[in-house]
Parts: sequence; structure tokens; C-alpha cells
Amino acid sequence: MRKLVYILFFTVFAVQAQTPMNSTEAMTLKSKVKALATTTKTISSDFVQYKHLDFLDNDIETSGKLAFKAPDLVKWEYVAPFKYSVLFKDETLFINDEGNKSNVDIGSNKMFKQLNKLIISSVKGDMFDEAEFSIEYFHKDKNSLVYFMPKDKKFAKYIQAFHITFNSKGDVIEVKMLEPSQDYTKIVFSNKVLNQTLDNAIFTN
Amino acid sequence: MRYLLISICFIFFGCASFPKKNNFVATTLTGNISNPYFANPNQDYIYKANIEVYDNAFGGIFIVKKIGDQHHRIVFTTEMGNKLFDFTFNKDDFTVNYILDDLNKKILINVLKKDFKVLITEHLIAEKNYVITDEIIKKTSLDNKTYYYFESPEITKIIRANSHKEKVRFLFTDLNDNIAQQIEIIHSNIKLKINLKSITN
Repeated sequence: MRKLVYILFFTVFAVQAQTPMNSTEAMTLKSKVKALATTTKTISSDFVQYKHLDFLDNDIETSGKLAFKAPDLVKWEYVAPFKYSVLFKDETLFINDEGNKSNVDIGSNKMFKQLNKLIISSVKGDMFDEAEFSIEYFHKDKNSLVYFMPKDKKFAKYIQAFHITFNSKGDVIEVKMLEPSQDYTKIVFSNKVLNQTLDNAIFTN
Repeated sequence: MRYLLISICFIFFGCASFPKKNNFVATTLTGNISNPYFANPNQDYIYKANIEVYDNAFGGIFIVKKIGDQHHRIVFTTEMGNKLFDFTFNKDDFTVNYILDDLNKKILINVLKKDFKVLITEHLIAEKNYVITDEIIKKTSLDNKTYYYFESPEITKIIRANSHKEKVRFLFTDLNDNIAQQIEIIHSNIKLKINLKSITN
């Protein structure tokens, strides 16, 4: 009996931790995020990536740094347990895989163009495009959680949903990308700094 | 006449069996083959991978998990976590759980399937034994192909060969507690090289 009470207590608690927003709350969040995104000229942040595969005992943990400079410069760099970076610059994707450098011309590649756009919009959280995503809004503890589900069937085959967590300022603190298999990639940001001058040297391969 | 002799020599050596060409010396059987490198069900095997295929090179994360007896899951993702393929090996059954459309080519899947089956197969029957310097070489068969396992006494190399020629070479180095920190798979008949470096916690 006591067990049942505990289970009930935790179930209620879990449900309470994530409640849907009403439409006014959703509108407020959306405009807060959009306002922050438009004034964000640079971002620098650390991140930890957790790759969850159902059959593994532990998530695969990798960590690194992110740098963004408006309108479309992005460097996504893994530092541990291996060194690997991708840099989007001048219509080119520069890859540095533990010192082995290569690049892909993205001017001609629609997929990489989309990837570049996607990284920027998910880092800023500005994915409120009703034509591209079905969107659901939740409160989660003191934060906000928004589900973005791609409408394009081809896209949905890779990623079923983005779950983006925003802090009270409307800044992204976590991005979770769910695959149709329910395996996911979760990226948790820390030491995030907005609008600090970033040296161009950061955006070199 | 001299040319004929040379030609005969070439034919003779060209036709020499793989063990003979490599100076393997036949010896008595000393037990079967046991491959420990992906055999622990309590271990998540995680590798940073680099694949060179023809003139393309790309990287990713190579993941192996033993689910049960003769039952493994092998997944390859990009560094950023996107799944490229997801295979299940269960005894003689092989299932493609997922593969990116661009990689969904029968010929590629078959090459990968054959290579990965060698990595995860734990027990094989030695059919013949050879020695060369201080290594024992055990000849065995897997899915109708011939393999030579080099033991010193850990498995350091596996070669798939037809009766005369090497086809694929598997190298296991930096061996530590039944985990091969480095694995290389090198094909000699196609331009394919797979490099794995352990990042297991």
C-alpha cells in the first residue's frame, strides 16, 4: 500500500513537472524567444552531448564548444573524448577530424544548407515556423519546453521531434533530437554567453 | 627456354597456397579460436571511426553491444549523433534496423556485414594450425570463407584469403583487458579502409 502511495505521488509529481501552456503563455514565450534571437549577434557556449541508444547501458557522452556569429558563421567543436570540428563559413563546410581537414561546398548542397540553418535556429531556439513544424508548448519546472515536430515526411524519417528547453530569459539551455526509434541526441548548454565580441580567429578550421 | 622456366616458376609461386606463400609452417592443433574483443555483455563498446572508401573519407562513432549469446547490435552514427546504420546480428540472422538512404546499397551492406561478423564472432573451430616465428596461426571458416587468426597469444591479426591471396586484413593493437583500443580493417581488392579507435569510458 505504501508503495502504491509512492507511485501515485511520483506519477502526479511527474505530470505536474510538465504541463501544457495556454495560448497566451505560448505567444508570450514565442515573442520572448524571437526578440532574444533577433538581438543575438554572437553566442559562445560549452556543451555536453548525450547520445542515447536504448540497447546501451550508458549514454555516449561527448563535449565541446559552440561559437556563432550572425548571420551564419557557426563553429561546432568536440573536444573530448576526441577532437572534431565543423565550421560553416562562406558557403563551405570545413571539417577538422583530429587534424585531417576536408571541406564540402554547401552552395550546391541543399542538405548542408538546411543543416546550417537548423543548427543556428535550434541554438537560438527560433524554430517557430508553423509551416515546417507542428508545435506544442509546455511548462517544465521553472523553464519552458517546446516540441517541434517536422511536417516534412522525409525530414521526419530522421528526426521525429526537437524538444527545446528555454530558461526564463527565453534562451536555449537544452536541445533534444528524437529519432522515430525513440533513440535521441541531447545537447545541454553551459557557460553560454551572448553578444560578446568573438575574434574571427575562432572561425578558422 | 629460360622464359619458359621463369614462367613456370611464376605459375608455380603464383599458384602456391596462401600459407605456403607466407612461409607458414604446419603444426599440430592446439585448441579452437576464442575472440574476446566484443564478448562482454556488460560493456558498451564505443569507437571513433574513420572510413576511407575510394577517395572519400568520413568519420563517425562505431558502437557495438553484445545483447545475448551470439547476438550483437552494431550502430554507426555521425559525430553529431545522426544514425547512419543500425544492424542486428543474431546467430545466423542479420537485420538492417536502419540505414541512411544514401548508403542503402546491397553491395555495401554485404561488405560491412561480412567484416562486422568477423569482429563479433567469438568461437570458431580451428581446422589447421601453423607457426611463423613466435605466432600461432589458426585456419578456420566463417560463412564459407577462409580466415587465418594470428595469436601471440592474443589475437593480433585476422586475414581473410582465398586459396592464394589475401582479401581483407583485420589488425588489433593496443590490447587492454580484452578491449582492442585500435582496430584496422583493410581491404585489398577494393579501396576500403576502416579505422577504429576506442573511446570507451
